[in-house]
Amino acid sequence: MGQGTRLNAAISSLPGSRHDVVRTHRQRAARAFAARGLPTRRDEDWKYTDLSRLTAALGDNWWESSGQPEISAVDAGVIEGQAIPDLDAYRIVFTDGRFDHGESEFPEGVTIRPLADLLESEPEQALEPLELDEAAPLYNGFVALNAAMATDGLCVCIKDGVTLDKPLYILHLAGPSGQVAHIRHAISLGSNAEVAVIEHFSGISDGTGLTNTMTNIRLGQGARLSHYRLQQEPESRFHIGRVEVEQARDSYYASHSIALGAALSRTDIRVNLNGEGAECLLNGLYVTGGRQHADHHTRIDHAVPNCTSREIYKGILDGRSRAVFNGKVVVHKNAQLTDAQQSNGNLLLSARAEIDTKPELEIYADDVKCAHGATIGQLDEDQVFYLRTRGLSEADARNVLTFAFAGDVLARMPHIAVRKFLERVVLGKLPQGAVLEDIV
Amino acid sequence: MATDKHVEHLVSSEYKAGFVTDIDADTVPPGLNEDVIRVISAKKHEPDWLLEWRLNAYRHWLTMTEPTWAHVKFKPIDYQAISYYSAPKSKDDGPQSLDEVDPKLLETYEKLGIPLHERAALAGVAVDAVFDSVSVATTFKAKLGEAGVIFCSFSEAVHNHPDLVRQYLGTVVPHTDNFFASLNSAVFTDGSFVLVPKGVKCPMELSTYFRINALNTGQFERTLIVAEEGASVSYLEGCTAPMRDENQLHAAVVELVALDDAKIKYSTVQNWYPGDENGVGGIYNFVTKRGECRGVNSKISWTQVETGSAITWKYPGCVLLGDNSVGEFYSVALTNNYQQADTGTKMIHLGRNTKSTIVSKGISAGHGQQSYRGLVKVGKGAHGSRNYTRCDSLLIGDKCGAHTFPYMEVTNPTAVVEHEATTSKIGEDQLFYCRQRGIPEEDAVSMIVNGFCKDVFQELPMEFAVEAGKLLSVSLEGAVG
Repeated sequence: MGQGTRLNAAISSLPGSRHDVVRTHRQRAARAFAARGLPTRRDEDWKYTDLSRLTAALGDNWWESSGQPEISAVDAGVIEGQAIPDLDAYRIVFTDGRFDHGESEFPEGVTIRPLADLLESEPEQALEPLELDEAAPLYNGFVALNAAMATDGLCVCIKDGVTLDKPLYILHLAGPSGQVAHIRHAISLGSNAEVAVIEHFSGISDGTGLTNTMTNIRLGQGARLSHYRLQQEPESRFHIGRVEVEQARDSYYASHSIALGAALSRTDIRVNLNGEGAECLLNGLYVTGGRQHADHHTRIDHAVPNCTSREIYKGILDGRSRAVFNGKVVVHKNAQLTDAQQSNGNLLLSARAEIDTKPELEIYADDVKCAHGATIGQLDEDQVFYLRTRGLSEADARNVLTFAFAGDVLARMPHIAVRKFLERVVLGKLPQGAVLEDIV
Repeated sequence: MATDKHVEHLVSSEYKAGFVTDIDADTVPPGLNEDVIRVISAKKHEPDWLLEWRLNAYRHWLTMTEPTWAHVKFKPIDYQAISYYSAPKSKDDGPQSLDEVDPKLLETYEKLGIPLHERAALAGVAVDAVFDSVSVATTFKAKLGEAGVIFCSFSEAVHNHPDLVRQYLGTVVPHTDNFFASLNSAVFTDGSFVLVPKGVKCPMELSTYFRINALNTGQFERTLIVAEEGASVSYLEGCTAPMRDENQLHAAVVELVALDDAKIKYSTVQNWYPGDENGVGGIYNFVTKRGECRGVNSKISWTQVETGSAITWKYPGCVLLGDNSVGEFYSVALTNNYQQADTGTKMIHLGRNTKSTIVSKGISAGHGQQSYRGLVKVGKGAHGSRNYTRCDSLLIGDKCGAHTFPYMEVTNPTAVVEHEATTSKIGEDQLFYCRQRGIPEEDAVSMIVNGFCKDVFQELPMEFAVEAGKLLSVSLEGAVG
C-alpha cells in the first residue's frame, strides 16, 4: 500500500471523518504532507537535526497511530506518579493523544471542549483550529501531518475579563504500549482574561513512539497567559512540538519551555506580536545527556510598533547529546520602538556533546533596540576552586554551579509548585545531583 | 524633517570615481565553454597542468547550481553573456617602469587620487596594479627581491615559480569549493602572488589596486599569499570602478597560507560602483577568501572596509589548524541606496588553544540591506579554543535593514565561544550633544559613524585608515535618520 492510500485509510477512522468537511480537510492536509515529506538536513531549519533516527526506530509508517488506544489504560495511581506533585490545578489528562474523560476535571466559567468531540458534533467549528498555513515560517511536514491526523486536543476559550483561579494542567501521557500521538490544542483568551496553562508531556513506558503536538494560542487585548511546557518524555520516544501565538494589543505571553526527555525532541515556538504594547517572554531550558538530541527553534515577529520581547534560553549538555538553538527575531518595516533582547547560554559538560546555536536578527525598522548574545563554555575553574575550599567535594561543587546556571531560568517561573518540581527533576539529571536535593 | 533633505542630497550625490578610461582592450567574445578556457590558458602561455586544473574546475562547475541562501536579491546572471578575458593591448610593450605605463592608466589613478609614483615614493608602498585582468605596473621589485620576497602577478608566478604555484594553488580554496570559486578556478585571468620566505619580515606593505574597466568584463582574480615559517607580511587590496549601467560580476578567490609562527595581515578597501540611486547597475562582488593557519603560533588577520558594490557576498575565513594559531576578522560594511551586503566570516577551530576575534560593524542607510553571516566552529580536538564575536549594526533611515545570522557549532567542552550583537540607530542625544556644541549635523553624523567604526579602522594600516575614513564620509555624509 502506498503512503497516500495508507494516509487516506488512516484518516477515515479518525474523529469527525464521517463528516465530509472534516475528511476533505484532513485529506488536503495529507496531500500537503505527502508533497512536503519529512524535513531533511538540506532544509535550513533542520540543518542540525537528522530525522533518520525517527524512521529507523519507528519504520516507514512512523506517522501512523496503531489503532484505538485503550482509554484509561493508565490507572489513577500511575497518573499520580507522573503528575507534578502538590499542584493545585484543573487537571486534564491525555493518554496516547486521546482525551481521558475519567481523569479530567473542567473549571467553570470557561468553555473547554475536547477536539474529538467537537469534530464529531460541530465539525465546521472544529475546523478552525485545524487550519493549515503552508506559507507560515517554520512550516514543515509535521504541521501538515498534524492537521491531517490530529486525534484529539483541547479547545479552550476563556471569556473576556475572566481570570482563572488555578492553572489548567494538561498532562499528556504516553501509554504503556508506546504510541504515535497527534495532538492539537487551541487556546483563546478574550480581552483582559488571564490564565496559566501547564502542558506536561510524560510517559510510562520504554516503548518507542512519537508525539506530534501543536498548540495554537490567541490572546485578546490585554490578555495574559503563562504557558509552561514541560517535555519529559521517556528517552525512547520522539517529540515534535509546535506553538503558535497571536498577540493583540497590550497582551502578555510568557512561555516557559523545558526540554528534558525524549531521544529526539524538536520544539518550534512562533510568536506574532500583532498589537501595539504587546509583550512576550520566551524562557527556556534544555538539559540533555546520553544520546539525546534537543532542538529549539523560535521566531518572534514584531509586526507593529512598541512591542517588547525577551528571550532567554539555556542549555546543559552531557554525554554524547546534542542540542540546537535557533532564535529568530524579525522586526518588520513599521515596527518602530521595538525592544527585543535575546540570549542563549550553553554549558558543555562532556567532550562528546555538541551545541549548534544560531541567534538571528532580521531588522527592517530603524528606531529599535535589539540585542542578542550567545555563549558556549564550561564551569569557571575559579568558582569550582572556591567551593572546594569551602569543603564541597569536586562533584558537589560542579553540581552546585551547574544547577545555578539553570537556576535563573527556573527562577523566572512564577508558579511555585512547577518550579519546585522542575528543580528536583533538573537535579536528578545532573550526575549525582540527588545529593544536592537537601541543599537546594 | 530637515534630515530627509540630507538623505536626498546624499542619495543624489554622484559616485565620485565614476568614469571610463578608453583603452584598446584585447577581449575574448562573451560566452563560456572549454574552448574559452583553452584560449585564456593559451593567451597566458600556461603549462598543461594548469589548463587541466582549470578544465577540471569548469567540469565540476557545470554540475553545480548557483547558491540561493544569501539574504540578497538580484536578477539571474547570464554566464554566457560575460566576456572572460580582457587585457590592455599595451601589455605587449612590456612596461619596464612607470614612464612606460600607458599614460591614460596613470591618468585614471590620478583621477582616483592614487598617484602611483607619489604613493610609491612617499609611502614606500609597492603597487602591483591590476588594470582589468593583467598586471601592468609592478614597483619596488628590486627592494623586495633583496629581502627574498616574491611579489608578482599571478601569471608571472606561473612562469617563474611554477613549482610554488602548483604546491599551494587550490590547497586552501579547492576548485570544488563553491559555485563562484569553481567558476573563478576555471576562468581566472590574473591576480597577485606573494611568497615571503622563512624568517623574513616583509620590508614594506604590499598593495594591489584592482580596477574593473572594460565594459562587460567580469573580473576573476586569484590571489595567493604564502608566509613561510616565521615570516610576516601585510597586504593591502583596494578597489574603485568606473560608472557603468550593467552589472558586472566579480568572483575573486584569495588564498592565504601561514606556516609556523607566520603572520599575514590582509586589508581590503572595496569601493566598487554600487549602482545608481535607483539600484540600477553596480558590481556583483561574490568573493571567496580563506586563510589557513597551517603552522603552530601562526596568525591571519582580515580587515575589510566594504562601501561599494551593488551586492557584496563574501566571508573571509580562517582555518585554524596549527596549535595556538590566531584568526581575526575586522569589518566595516556600509550599504546605501539599494546596495545589499551579505558578509561575515568563518572561523574554523581545529588546533589546540586557537583563538579568534570577530568585530563586525554594519551601517545601513537608504534602502540598503545588510546581513552579518558568520560561522564559528570548534572541532573535537580544539581544546582551550576561544572565540569572541561582536557585531553591531547602525540603521540610518526607516527603509533599510540589518540582519544577523551567526552560526556557532561547538563540539569541545573546553572551548569558550561568545557572541554579542546589537542593532540601533544613531542616538538622538548624541546628535543633539554635537549640535549644541556647534557641530553641523552632517559632521556630527560622520563623527558618530567614525566612532562606531573605530575598532575596525584602527586595525587598518595608516594610509588605508585615512582612505577608509574618507570613503565612509563620501558614502554617508548627512544621511541622518
